Amino acid sequence: MKWQEKIPNGKMVAVEAQVEHGTVIKVRITGDFFLHPEDAIHDLEKALTGLPREIKENEVVEIIREVLRHATLIGATPEDIARIFKKALL
Amino acid sequence: MKWRVIGFSENDAFTNMAIDEAVSESVRAGGPPTIRFYGWSPSAVSIGYFQSLESEVDTGRCRELGIDVVRRRTGGGAVYHDNQGEITYSIIANEELFPKDIIASYKVICGYICDSLSLLGIESEFQPINDIAAGGRKISGNAQTRRKGVLLQHGTILYDVDVEKMFSLLRVPDEKIRDKMIASVKERVTSVCHQNQATKEEVYQALLKGFTAGKDFYHEGLTGEEISRSKALVKERYSSKEWNAMR
Repeated sequence: MKWQEKIPNGKMVAVEAQVEHGTVIKVRITGDFFLHPEDAIHDLEKALTGLPREIKENEVVEIIREVLRHATLIGATPEDIARIFKKALL
Repeated sequence: MKWRVIGFSENDAFTNMAIDEAVSESVRAGGPPTIRFYGWSPSAVSIGYFQSLESEVDTGRCRELGIDVVRRRTGGGAVYHDNQGEITYSIIANEELFPKDIIASYKVICGYICDSLSLLGIESEFQPINDIAAGGRKISGNAQTRRKGVLLQHGTILYDVDVEKMFSLLRVPDEKIRDKMIASVKERVTSVCHQNQATKEEVYQALLKGFTAGKDFYHEGLTGEEISRSKALVKERYSSKEWNAMR
């Protein structure tokens, strides 16, 4: 399942997620946003993999914030990514 | 602090991206901050680090037309780099030479471009996050990254733009609205040629002035080490399927 949004005053973010038996088994985040260091995207995708489909959006925000605590995200916020991730799970 | 300026040269897409990275490595090792100007031969499409190759680029069409496709180390969007239609720059320096705030540092570097365009009689302004607009229409796109204390920003100044060709290479979310998107991009994008009669050489000379104003600098090429490192990076990364089709 895929969901994408153009963030107002920001960039395009798309999340593709695969769910099996209520658990996220694959996540791919793409778009024209900026994230330094770029490799942090792999840590983020890894952190979102294995989560239960029913996880609350605010918990996802916390996970994203924690993973990206030493990274800089431009053109989207952890809240945006969490919202799009949740929509991709619907 | 003396800046090195590497004059305009044309390379293939893989080499251009590899040189930017090789220079970043040499700056990290204590080499001079560097400003480089370059073009793309053959014409190429570059995509941002986080973009999906398949969703953004019609790779079959690019292959037919002999257009290179490369993934950048920087984020941002897909760009069509026409061999005649633009001038690209990169600026690579210790990040301490620029504001810590990313948008503020974009503003400083994009300011060099606005100053250059102003020398040609084109008024333009920085449009956060990473664009420059003239008369409200995009004339330059830029992308920055920082790694291990080194700032790399590269970007293009549109000299002449062929929106139809650009869209024949890039994918659109919905084929039914392709014509509408082309019309909308035509309204939102401009180029030096749309603004005045300056030649590409005049644009380059203005950029040289705008980027070096107030800086102590010298003209020099890549070092032997940078050349061999960039050749290795072309092979192991930028021309590889693993890198370009990574997502």
